[in-house]
Amino acid sequence: MVPIDDDAAAISDTLGIRRRQLLQLIAAGTTLSLLPGMFARRASAGEAAVKGGILRVSAPFNPSSLDPITSGAGSDHMILYSIYDTLVDFEPATLQPVPGLSTAWEFETPTRLVMTLREGVTFHDGTEFNADAVKANLDRALTHPRSTAKGDLASVDSVDVVGPYQVAINTKHPDTALPLILADRSGMMASPTAFDEPDRNFDRTPVGTGPFSFTQWNDGDRIELARYDDYWDEEIPHLDGIIFRVITDLNTGLRSVIAGEADFVYRLNPQQKLVADRAGEEVVVRSSPTVANYHIVFNYGKAPLNDVRVRQAINYAVDRKAFNQAAMLGLGTPAQTLLPPDYWAHDESLNEFYPFDQDKARALLAEAGYSDGLELQYYSNADQSSQQRAEIIMEQLRQVGIRCVLTTGSNADMFQRFMVRGEGDAIMVNWTGRPDPAQGFLFVYGEQGANNPGKVPPPQDLAEAIAAAQEGVTQEERQPAFARAERAALEHALSCEVAFVPGIEVHRANVGGYEPNLLGKPKFNRLFLRPQEG
Amino acid sequence: MQNQFLRFLLWRMVQFLPVVAMATLTIFSLIQLVPGDPAATIAGEYATAENIEAIRHSLGLDRPLWEQYGIWLWNAAQGDLSNSLLSGLPVMDEVLRRLPSTLTIAVLALCIAVIVGVPLGVLAATRADTMLDRLVTGIASLGVAVPNFWLGMILVSIFALGFGWFPTTGARPISEDFWGALHHAALPAATLATGGIAEIARQLRSSLIEVLQSQYVRTLRAKGLPNYLILWKHGLRNAALTLLTVIGLVFNHMLGATVATEAVFAISGTGSMIVNAAINKDFPVVQGAVFVLVLIVIVMNLIIDLFYSLLDPRVKKG
Repeated sequence: MVPIDDDAAAISDTLGIRRRQLLQLIAAGTTLSLLPGMFARRASAGEAAVKGGILRVSAPFNPSSLDPITSGAGSDHMILYSIYDTLVDFEPATLQPVPGLSTAWEFETPTRLVMTLREGVTFHDGTEFNADAVKANLDRALTHPRSTAKGDLASVDSVDVVGPYQVAINTKHPDTALPLILADRSGMMASPTAFDEPDRNFDRTPVGTGPFSFTQWNDGDRIELARYDDYWDEEIPHLDGIIFRVITDLNTGLRSVIAGEADFVYRLNPQQKLVADRAGEEVVVRSSPTVANYHIVFNYGKAPLNDVRVRQAINYAVDRKAFNQAAMLGLGTPAQTLLPPDYWAHDESLNEFYPFDQDKARALLAEAGYSDGLELQYYSNADQSSQQRAEIIMEQLRQVGIRCVLTTGSNADMFQRFMVRGEGDAIMVNWTGRPDPAQGFLFVYGEQGANNPGKVPPPQDLAEAIAAAQEGVTQEERQPAFARAERAALEHALSCEVAFVPGIEVHRANVGGYEPNLLGKPKFNRLFLRPQEG
Repeated sequence: MQNQFLRFLLWRMVQFLPVVAMATLTIFSLIQLVPGDPAATIAGEYATAENIEAIRHSLGLDRPLWEQYGIWLWNAAQGDLSNSLLSGLPVMDEVLRRLPSTLTIAVLALCIAVIVGVPLGVLAATRADTMLDRLVTGIASLGVAVPNFWLGMILVSIFALGFGWFPTTGARPISEDFWGALHHAALPAATLATGGIAEIARQLRSSLIEVLQSQYVRTLRAKGLPNYLILWKHGLRNAALTLLTVIGLVFNHMLGATVATEAVFAISGTGSMIVNAAINKDFPVVQGAVFVLVLIVIVMNLIIDLFYSLLDPRVKKG
């Protein structure tokens, strides 16, 4: 019953082990019912939060937009979370759904989700939050010409206002992933008064119900948020405000924290953890498991990767442990499927499904008619660490006779050429994961999935397993379906999962109230600053 | 005299227009070679082909290239540098917001380069072929060779993280907090200055040696003029033309070199603005920023030309 220790002296490794042990317990199914109490939201209970102070965060990306439904990058969340509340929230350590702006929800029928809303919530502009506001938000997400939420909300058919504080979401088919989908950008509620204003650039003047309201965004420089005094949860915010400074160079971002010019930096690379570890007691270094991973996306809509044997050969040829050592200093976790070990939906028996076996890889290639080797068009982002990862994978593939021809470009360029236009055969992406595993399976393997460049419909066994996972309501009901989906994806070798990325964050020792989450996207809403000594 | 000066200025202005047009046209053409599509960047993770096409259309990216450039040029001629494709913000406002930090660093770096470089050059020239000369020349070669971003990190780890004398990141607006701005700009400017110091010291050394070996200096020595007068009154004055040219070039180079320095020190100036915009093919931003920088370079060259005419009467006649 040890809550995640938030004491300044807590060492990241200790934290990691405790978390892993807890997750194992959970996986064993022994403590599921104890969970909500065990992971009491105030993890730093025992220490009183201090009011006041401005938290300075070093953010590695300038956001694409601060409107949740036009936001186009998984790195925008860290800023959006403070401005917007989501309809559903999640437990940081387990990603279990918990009440957010919706206090309770229930599937009235398999295709009708009824949500009861929190009363007494107002948007930063004074607009009242109610069922009409939820309907306006979801309708906008489904129809806005630039909406990026359409993929996540693909199952949603219509939204009914049932009462002043009750809405019903009708879906085209059963979709029990919906509550956790609404814990993501699609469930972030923006003020209808504000986004309906003609000529208003809502991307850059966001209004939500979150603990912090937006004050300023100097593009590429900083985003400033101020505490929202009328926030519905009277316990927070503790801080007077948050300043996100856009520092795209992670080394510089880390230096700003070590020098005390910023309080928090996230999304660091393992190499930077080594630097931070030497920085002394003024900073706390955290490394925790996340659902984000490096995976090789295949275009199996065309030769040579339309042959399952070639895809399996690649899975056998990749030495995941060596990759983890070389690219991530051993801080990551070797991956087999989209879901990490110890995660509730994951089937632990699949952890060695594709062992490193070069002979088997060569045999499979020979069987597929490539005994003299084969050439693969391999794509990669052009930044230094992406190229390093590409080099490791290409060398591993070369050893079994797969020659890779490398093409590099900016993230957006690679995305458009590989995923949209269908160029190339394989690309390694750093995928940030989603709160609900079904979201992930559809994103990666669905016919319209963004990471399915061939737009090949999933094989029947996989499709059925995903559908079953969207029908089960409780985790116990859904877990076997996810296990089947994992196994099907592995048997068809639809991708090559390589390693889960650790969430590495460094903050000043006087930052309290922080709890890393399994999603790897830090939330700053409950943070506080202890007065500095001296 | 006044008339002559005005004509000189007018002639400069006439020259200015084709230079800007050529510069922006070159940039526009180069950006077309950069792979990528701003519409895809805007469309984000769930982009579909139709989605991207719709965005391309709304941004006018589906028009012929000459038309895109023509529209931009027409608006720029009227003082409107268009809006960023990605953020939708007016480019002029963004450039003006970011320019002061870049200019602060560049100007401070130039001052450091002159203050350190000139004495080094004089020292090396007057003691040509001694150990001291070789030391200065050696340091200068090193200054040219050492990459800015690396030196920046070394300076930060010593003077900011080690001694804590300077901040590691960021900038202050010079209009609000003069000393704070200089304090923040000190390390980036020192980083940027190394190349300039080396360039100035080397060029001044060689041109001063040339002057000091000329026949009229020999005559001056024969006349019995003291060494310091020969050096300061005749030597430096004649080497000053080279020095001015070098200073002009160094400053123009520094404006461009801020790119790496700004990244290391997390300064949101025009350098980082151009890099981000170029990566995302946000051509109005790149062109707008380049437009303003070209303007600054031209003004700088104009100032240098004016100094020429002050220092050397022959320029005025010409």
